Amino acid sequence: MPEPLIPADVRHRLKGLSLVARRAVGDRGIGLHASHSRGTGLEFAQYRPYEFGDEPRQIDWKLYARSDRFFVREAERESPVALWILLDASASMAQADARRAGFSRLDAGKGLVAALAELALAQGDRFAFAALRDTGLTLTRPASGTRHRDRLHLDLHGLPAAGGFPEETALAPLWERIGQRDLVVILSDWFDPACLDLARRLSAAGREVLGIQILTIGERDFDYDGGYRFRDPETGEELLGDGAALRAEYLGRFGAAQTGLHAALDAAGVRHADLVLDQPLDTPLQRLFGRTGNRAGGE
Amino acid sequence: MTPTLLLPLGLAALGAILVPLVLHLARRTEQRPTDFAALRWLRQKPRPRHRPKFDELLLLATRILLLALVAVFLAGPALLNTQDATPVIAFAPGIDPATVARDAKARAIWLAPGFRPIDTPAPQDAVPIGSLIRQLDTQTAATAPLTIVVPATLDGADAERPRVSHRVRWHIVPGAVAASKPAPSPLRLALRTDTAHATGARYIRAAAAALELPIDSDGPARAVPPPTTALIWLASGPLPAAVTRWIEHGGTALVANDTVIEAGLTVPAWRDETGRPLVETRSQGKGNVARLLQPLDPIAMPALVEPAFPRILADLLAPAPPPTRVEASAYRPLPGGLPPASQSRDLRPWFALAIAAAWLVERWLATRAKRAIAP
Repeated sequence: MPEPLIPADVRHRLKGLSLVARRAVGDRGIGLHASHSRGTGLEFAQYRPYEFGDEPRQIDWKLYARSDRFFVREAERESPVALWILLDASASMAQADARRAGFSRLDAGKGLVAALAELALAQGDRFAFAALRDTGLTLTRPASGTRHRDRLHLDLHGLPAAGGFPEETALAPLWERIGQRDLVVILSDWFDPACLDLARRLSAAGREVLGIQILTIGERDFDYDGGYRFRDPETGEELLGDGAALRAEYLGRFGAAQTGLHAALDAAGVRHADLVLDQPLDTPLQRLFGRTGNRAGGE
Repeated sequence: MTPTLLLPLGLAALGAILVPLVLHLARRTEQRPTDFAALRWLRQKPRPRHRPKFDELLLLATRILLLALVAVFLAGPALLNTQDATPVIAFAPGIDPATVARDAKARAIWLAPGFRPIDTPAPQDAVPIGSLIRQLDTQTAATAPLTIVVPATLDGADAERPRVSHRVRWHIVPGAVAASKPAPSPLRLALRTDTAHATGARYIRAAAAALELPIDSDGPARAVPPPTTALIWLASGPLPAAVTRWIEHGGTALVANDTVIEAGLTVPAWRDETGRPLVETRSQGKGNVARLLQPLDPIAMPALVEPAFPRILADLLAPAPPPTRVEASAYRPLPGGLPPASQSRDLRPWFALAIAAAWLVERWLATRAKRAIAP
């Protein structure tokens, strides 16, 4: 049996979180978008017996012909907001720390995807998932329900990290599917400029974009000591170096790059949060959706 | 005090120092492949040309020290000329040191086994003076003047005047060394004889009577006498185990020519006029056993009936001590002895201790918990 995607303590803390989209206010419904109400719509939900007052055009006449009873066809009313979870599945996401070799950046990302899906499911929002890879996007349509959640888990378990970040043209299916006011969460290491580019353009096109950056402990602290052959998993580039000698310079440059990235995300109106692999999985979720960080825009 | 190496070839072991140097150097060139996605911020400035660097310098130094100590240990370190040239004054026991004026810087010792300082109580036992003079001569540095203070009459001398390498100042003061040995107790005899030797036993009894000694005469089955008594055993066949044990505990025995005793290295103790050995002796355990080589019969052994026989028998069973008393002026050491060998002190035990200490330090440094795990 595979390890559960969401640890028990994280699952417990998810109860205090709620997905709130800043831009999705009730122009397609009344009240907060979190309603699980049935009525007319495209998606079939169930049949129920006719009651006095139902519109005659809602009666399923073909079923009446078969059963000699009036049944009303009900459809699930769609939530105004769909949550799009975009998980970077390029090769760089496979990086793990020597301290905890079995837990890669992609594993943390999968856990976050599952946690976000739980949040959406709990408040009746539709959610969709896409794995970003240059070998082909994996897409699911926005939907709700536990079956959809289970299908998402199945997709996640079989998802490896390989290849690079997709080209802009390869991302066209996303543009076709992500709705005008949908909530988009991008889980990545944000090292590839294409990722930032995607977030910036989605945000500019009216989607509310949230960014979660997943970093390894080695990237944050550079706790390497001794001789190493550093290899970029996506480009295959290699660099020989001594950990202690490289540390100060790397930390300076990486800190500057992070500051630049945060500034760019803030400028694009993308709220963002970090997760380092030694932190609890729900750290960025608490920051983005918790009661304290809920209304705060970004960093 | 010259440090030296007795086996300089052992220094070849210093080559082993290369091993820890290589071990501590090799770790630097080791490259562990590591995935690192943030490589673009890891641009390396061109490193200065590879300069050898060593990890864990303290541990490396300890290991080099350990190997160097082992190499020096193998080379046999020693200190040459460790003797001091201070004058030596040796006092024969029995002299009051206060009565003799002496150089205050000189090392004053007793001429007694151990050569203890003069501050310790004077040795009371008799000492072999001649032997001690020779030992002192070889143990004193060649450059050190040697003075020996002796009383006018010496006891404990041996038959040879000592030959020494030093120019010994032979200082004679009045007095005498105390009598060395107590007078020996009078000889007692025990005779054990079987019937076949009854004739020969008569000569023994006659000799005892001539010496006016009491004799305890009985058959072989009688118990052995106390060890101070000399035993004359005239019986054929092997010596009983009880008698053998009695001899080994310090008894003196004369056995007949047809008594079987254990074989061993023997010395002729009595020859007749023609040089034919009549009695041979040998030591057994703490005691002595003498064996007649001829039957106790005047035909085979005409000396039996000569007047000197009782005296010779007494000498065989209780030999007189050699003369040891001598006039000090006649016992002045002669020049011409071998010079004392150049003495060196072996330093290897100290190096062994240092090696053990260095090894412990090395183990402690190499296994302490704070040491970074080799990645």
